[in-house]
Amino acid sequence: MQVLWDAVTEAFRLLLSGDGETWEIIARSLRISLTATALALVLGLPVSAALAFGRFPGRRIVLALVNTGMGVPPVVAGLVIIVLLWRSGPLGALGLLYTPTAMVIAQTAIALPLVAGFSTAALQHVDPDFRVQMQALGAGRLRSLWTVAAEARLPLLAAGMAGFGAVISEVGAALMVGGNIAGQTRVLTTAAVLEASKGAFALALALGIILLVIAFAVNLVVTAVQQHGRA
Amino acid sequence: MNTPPPLLELRSITVEAGDRTILQVEQLRIERGETLAILGANGAGKSTLLRVAGGLRRPTHGSVSLNGRTATPAQIRQTCAAVLQRPLLRRGSVRANVETGLRFKGVPAAERRKRATQWLERLGLEPLAEQAADSLSGGEAQRVSLARAFALAPQLLLLDEPFGALDAPTRAELLADLRDILNTSDTATLLVTHDRHEAAATADRSAVLHAGTLRQIGPTASVLENPEDAACARLLGFDNILSPAAASRVLGRLLDHAVAVRATDCRLDPDGNGAGTIERILPFGGFTRAIVAIHGIRILSDTPTPAFERLSQLQPGTNVDLHIDASEARTLPCSQPTRRRAKTRNHPDDRLQ
Repeated sequence: MQVLWDAVTEAFRLLLSGDGETWEIIARSLRISLTATALALVLGLPVSAALAFGRFPGRRIVLALVNTGMGVPPVVAGLVIIVLLWRSGPLGALGLLYTPTAMVIAQTAIALPLVAGFSTAALQHVDPDFRVQMQALGAGRLRSLWTVAAEARLPLLAAGMAGFGAVISEVGAALMVGGNIAGQTRVLTTAAVLEASKGAFALALALGIILLVIAFAVNLVVTAVQQHGRA
Repeated sequence: MNTPPPLLELRSITVEAGDRTILQVEQLRIERGETLAILGANGAGKSTLLRVAGGLRRPTHGSVSLNGRTATPAQIRQTCAAVLQRPLLRRGSVRANVETGLRFKGVPAAERRKRATQWLERLGLEPLAEQAADSLSGGEAQRVSLARAFALAPQLLLLDEPFGALDAPTRAELLADLRDILNTSDTATLLVTHDRHEAAATADRSAVLHAGTLRQIGPTASVLENPEDAACARLLGFDNILSPAAASRVLGRLLDHAVAVRATDCRLDPDGNGAGTIERILPFGGFTRAIVAIHGIRILSDTPTPAFERLSQLQPGTNVDLHIDASEARTLPCSQPTRRRAKTRNHPDDRLQ
């Protein structure tokens, strides 16, 4: 119990004292995870629109792959990315391994199936005739898709939240492709793992609590947007 | 003098779904300002036809012309507005919904507001204008759908069974409003419905669609009263379809053709010779249906309920006579339908395909 109490007080101390390293890690975690979530949304929404409304050969297989991807452990995604970015790998010449960019790529790969899978379900949940009706009122192809997305904005925001939740809290891929380099690729989760491995459980837990507070704050903002105008 | 081309013309249209042909229409024209009703049972291909006509579905074969020129679905959509069976409204206020199509077409805000207000008033929606669309009843929501379509001032209005999901009083009220609007507008309208009363109330011309093909087309009154075959007759409310042998027995004279007669034109007579026996009595509110077995043939007879109640003690097993109004009985071909012309012909389409 004492460890938990120490963790809570340490978390508040780190946050309120303006500890430079802690705030730097928080900022980096947010920057990497929010960028990865945004990229996953940019890539995932067209994929989900194609899966929800398109009729092309192999559509079901792609959908099954996306759904399978939702359950892929981050460490597996990290492994694939590290193989690609390794010095002798196909993208090794880019020299991205152990950089925040590599972490963004890995986290995007983790968030993408979640965003695409949940978004496909969200778009398919809207009455199929809704898009036809919008087209019948003069909406073009993209405009009608946009109106469907606007109708499904609540579950689409939930898809974004699921993607963000997955990447802000994952450690396997971040550790593998980022390397937990202080001042460069250290994020909240990798820092917590490092402190726990050193036996500094209170500090590790404090970082965990900070992670939860950050995730809560981001989700609170998105939920407020999502539920705007609802009782 | 050359006749102006029709507003919209469907030519050699085929729509296939998998290995099934769900629509096959050789030719269908819609003239400016007219209301054309397509009558058909569920699954006849009505909605597919409407969607092809509105550029909402690409036919497998065939073309659609607009003002005499072959048009792409996108071009057709710019001239049309549709109201589907279920009112599909966006989140937001009633006014925002009525402005939806105008927004799509880039109409400036002031003009949008003016046109929306005009149609909100016309359809009695002004008090609900700022209300959330998802709080409306089915009838109100369908009114919003109509206002949204009319606000676009389309050249062609497509109505896909817009009253199908409404209760009878709401439907009657909305139908009356629609008729008033159509009478004072130069918008051409394509209405698909399974209800002949809706066609009778609104349409200048009507066509019967059965199993994806047009069977009859002509002036509404003529089509509704002159079914071409048993399938059309059933759809047009002729509840009793009698084979030549059955018709000969029931009508008491030798006939070489089938006969269709509405249940309302078969009158029960409890004081006659009692050649028939009531098998079942089905009260339907405004009218009461009796199923009468006569010479081994079942005939449906509908009587207004007050009149039925005045008839002395009718119940299953009671012997009755059945008087069939011969002038209301329609002859039908006894085998496969032959191609017949509608009674009145005043339109290039008014022929059977």
